Amino acid sequence: MIDWKLAAQIAGGGFGMVFLILAIIAVAVWLTYRAVNRPGKASPGKEEK
Amino acid sequence: MFGMLESGFQHFFWGNAVMLVIGGLLIYLAIAKKMEPLLLVPIGFGILLVNLPLGGIMDYDLQMRAPEAGKVLEVEMAEGDRFNEGDILIQLDSGEIATPVFGRVDQIKVSPGQQVEEGEVVARLTTMQQTDQDEIPTEPRGLLAKIFKFGVMWQVLPPLMFLCLGALTDFGPMLANPKTLLLGAAAQFGVYFAFFMALFFGFDLAEAASIGIIGGAEGPTTIYVTSILAPHIIGATAVACYSYMALVPIILPPVIKLLTTKQERQIYMKPQLREVSQLEKILFPVVTTVIVILFVPFSAPLMGCFMVGNLFRESGVTERLSNTAQTTLVDMLTIFLTLSIGATMPAENFLQPKTLLVLVLGVVAFATAAGAGVILAKIMNLFSKEKINPMIGAAGVSAVPMSARVVQVMGQKENPRNFLLMHAMGPNVAGAIGAAIAGGIFLGILA
Repeated sequence: MIDWKLAAQIAGGGFGMVFLILAIIAVAVWLTYRAVNRPGKASPGKEEK
Repeated sequence: MFGMLESGFQHFFWGNAVMLVIGGLLIYLAIAKKMEPLLLVPIGFGILLVNLPLGGIMDYDLQMRAPEAGKVLEVEMAEGDRFNEGDILIQLDSGEIATPVFGRVDQIKVSPGQQVEEGEVVARLTTMQQTDQDEIPTEPRGLLAKIFKFGVMWQVLPPLMFLCLGALTDFGPMLANPKTLLLGAAAQFGVYFAFFMALFFGFDLAEAASIGIIGGAEGPTTIYVTSILAPHIIGATAVACYSYMALVPIILPPVIKLLTTKQERQIYMKPQLREVSQLEKILFPVVTTVIVILFVPFSAPLMGCFMVGNLFRESGVTERLSNTAQTTLVDMLTIFLTLSIGATMPAENFLQPKTLLVLVLGVVAFATAAGAGVILAKIMNLFSKEKINPMIGAAGVSAVPMSARVVQVMGQKENPRNFLLMHAMGPNVAGAIGAAIAGGIFLGILA
């Protein structure tokens, strides 16, 4: 017997969690970019590998 | 003398023939059509090997024990007989002893009239079925059975494979446009949609999670999650995942066309992304590891390996490690992983309605993952001044870099000025991270 309530929690909560974590990483990436390339810094970006 | 030589012909049945055709087809697609040859050649050959009876390359020993004490009334099978799951092996006066897996009888250790005690070994069986070792412990005998047990079932090879993928991955396009991380997240909808569909078709939660994770389009993640949650369907989920990764050029275009207008597919994106500094590239794997593992500790083996591999690549001081991970190590792991995965598909195991359903649900997972990415890209366009081509959302189906290439080809056809590859690589690699997180969440709840 499938516990549909648990299944819904896993699916809804899981998808929400994936979204939340990747959104946080996106913000962290943006903040890193701002910190590394802040105005007045000598070399705003090195060559891409 | 030759009368003593037992050949495989007497054990060969129609199912083996079907599997030989399937294995041959995978090898054909890999060689003739150049579809993921590094994966499909060894998988296809593994299928051939395991479907040649008595080869023993994927055999496990299973000691059959009496579940309760009793007197043997009748022995229903002889040595060398084949059996299916649930067949009666021995009749006791206290009940029946049924086989928990498919396989063949190696040795019967009791005879009618004999008294057996609870837990006493009554027969030695050979099986090629993957079992839950807590319930049905087996000992690997064949070469690939040993590689599979100690490499895959002990969860060694998939994380190491992820380390190599990390060393091979350039996160630059994603770091240049972090919004694309959301497209990778949206594509994980396919995982949860397929999870629900699998439940609807009668799979239990653990099996459904293993089927759902196919939608992440990451072979090591799929294998890792299935080896823990539902080892008995690992062959089906792994083959579905790797096969559909090869079939991305066939699966993605109809989904994209269904969900977008021609005008949307023609949206132009500037080919040049901003330059990403080395410091950003070094910080990314460190910061991501900390964030992800704090939220989802069960993703640590996959995410930790993925990110340390990427740090090898980007740090600038571990070139030797990076080179090894990108070349020798990934090749060795690919051989071990894919050959043994192919060998998890003996006909008795694979030609089951349940297995075929796994394959169907795998396509559903891929298609819905692509669709969800496209839809989110369209939603983002409603709020964004600088429009993105919604096709790049479909590249959230990880399958790095195949789905990004598909988007590039489609984009060029719709608008020859468009060069979408680097834009599509963002959601593409984000999808790999998203799949590892989704896998970790399943494990955290269900393992």
